Amino acid sequence: MNLSSAAGRVKSTLPWLLLIALAVWPSTNPSPNAVRLLFITAVWTTTSLAWNLVGGLAGQVSFGFAVFYGLGSYAAAVMINSGRSPLFAFAGAAAIAALASFFVGLPTFRLRGPYFAIATIGVGEAVRVVMNNLDSTGGASGYRIMEKGAFRQIEHYYYALGLVALAVVIASIVKNSKFGLALRAIKQDQEAAAAVGVNPYFCKLWVHAIAAALTGVAGAVHARYAAFIYPGSEFAFQTSISILLMPVIGGIGTIWGAVLGGVIFGIVEEEFVVRFPNIHLLLYGALLMLIILFEPDGLVGLMRRTMRLLKRWFWSKREDSGSPDADKVLWGRGSVEGRKL
Amino acid sequence: MTATDYLDLLIKSLLLAGIYAAMAVGMTAIYGVMKIVNLAHAGFLMLGAYFAYELFERFHLDPILGAMLALPVFFLFGMAVHWLLVRWLPKSDTPTLASLLLMFGFWLVLQNIGYLVWGNTAYSIFTPRSLASVRFGEISIPKDKLIVFAAAVVSLIVLQIVFARSWFGRSMRSLIQNPYAAAIVGVDDQKTARLSFAVGTAFAGFAGALLAILFPFTPDFGASFQLRAFVIIVLGGLESVSGVALGALILALLETFSINVPLPLYWHGWKFVYLPSSYQPAVSFVLLVVALLVLPKGIAGLLERKWRVA
Repeated sequence: MNLSSAAGRVKSTLPWLLLIALAVWPSTNPSPNAVRLLFITAVWTTTSLAWNLVGGLAGQVSFGFAVFYGLGSYAAAVMINSGRSPLFAFAGAAAIAALASFFVGLPTFRLRGPYFAIATIGVGEAVRVVMNNLDSTGGASGYRIMEKGAFRQIEHYYYALGLVALAVVIASIVKNSKFGLALRAIKQDQEAAAAVGVNPYFCKLWVHAIAAALTGVAGAVHARYAAFIYPGSEFAFQTSISILLMPVIGGIGTIWGAVLGGVIFGIVEEEFVVRFPNIHLLLYGALLMLIILFEPDGLVGLMRRTMRLLKRWFWSKREDSGSPDADKVLWGRGSVEGRKL
Repeated sequence: MTATDYLDLLIKSLLLAGIYAAMAVGMTAIYGVMKIVNLAHAGFLMLGAYFAYELFERFHLDPILGAMLALPVFFLFGMAVHWLLVRWLPKSDTPTLASLLLMFGFWLVLQNIGYLVWGNTAYSIFTPRSLASVRFGEISIPKDKLIVFAAAVVSLIVLQIVFARSWFGRSMRSLIQNPYAAAIVGVDDQKTARLSFAVGTAFAGFAGALLAILFPFTPDFGASFQLRAFVIIVLGGLESVSGVALGALILALLETFSINVPLPLYWHGWKFVYLPSSYQPAVSFVLLVVALLVLPKGIAGLLERKWRVA
């Protein structure tokens, strides 16, 4: 049996099975707490996937995603309060976040690497200060979302689930497209990418807009669920940090890394914060340092490495590359189990 | 606003610039030699503040002496951090994201250790001197501000002399100018990097202790000052003590005058309005982005360019 094609088949069907399982899961009458946990996890995972497009794929580390998260939530809140339907509000949140991303990106993408990262810190904090003082949305004391009709948690859950599925689809489309190839080229060497006809500035702007739109909708979905938002949480530097940490922990630049990071973060955040409110960021900081020092590809990189090791231990006898020369180089022999390769 | 008021503001911003420069100079030393944007600077500032606080509470040590004591202690701490974490980073001519994220992770760790140990209530150091002030005619200046300014300026002058005259300063400047040429003539880059990181950390701790005299502090206290330090070193051109002093002065002047001086605004005709003081923090953040965009080499770079053209 060909191992790699089987693994590929599992890899392509697994997400759909997972999605179906998550869609059917509410019919087993789970507790509201469990639904809430998965809801939050889906929201975080969406932001993680979005950040990963800019930070992982294009290599532009941004410390300012709270801007889009917050603007999305405020935009949706204002629209819902003026009687629009939730879907309309989410679309509006995406549009406003994407628009904001151009305002942020047009100047800051003139900068490279860490300078861009530092500039995004400045932008994020400036926006937070402004929102803290904006009277029309209640300033620092927050903004309440009033919606007609009963609160149905399952509905919120399905919105979040749909959103995270959408995010995975968008992320894999971007990653596997020519556009994604251009982004990866920019990450590796911007000058070389420009030399072969990629416009780094426009590519960065567009991927930033896509990521911002997704982050904005995530903020909107969460805001509608929370029904109360305030700049100290939506626009906090902490929110930007969380959005950045998930893909870095999971595995920067890979879709499954971003999802894994988001799931771990969501669950740990919800379960851990209650019990040890002060330790969780300490753990994330330590984890971030360990990952940078020992495994820059995050948990996905770690998993790949262990899989390779396991494969070498257990399946080394069966595994052949189909080419005797390559096998000679790889395993130092020309035949396996007496079989001439 | 009378002329005296303007003079008062000018003096206040000058005093603020002193402490701002001391706060930013550590970051410059680290950036210049290692090209690391030290996001853990905020953590060092915060630890420096609590260091002075603990010494004051437990041993009734004057916070100024506490700040002086912070220099050697944080020097050793910086050496340890470099030995434990920073030296493993890949070397580079430009700042790398690995270094940014590593220092960021370290900041998170320091900040949350701060929360664990001291909680999230704001502390402040209150000495008999805290409310005293010196009068010069119509202008009165708090004594603490004067003392902090003096300490900051003296330490900066000493640092400038060390950079200009000593073995360490020479090898440091050679690494800043050209690391390859420095390596060829035998500059030990690891040793210099370790020492500059230690000096940077020492100054962060020192500045943190000085800031603790003037402002109340929480474990999150370094964050806004760290952003100001960025603004200053970007304005100052990233790698010189005099540039830092200039950047600090500009930032302090802008921060003070932006909220105390009416600004022209066109809204149904020209008007003069005051910027609400709650927007003051945004001044430095906006300045950071603007400075990064239009002055990539800082004010010194701008002047250099002018002179070259002339």
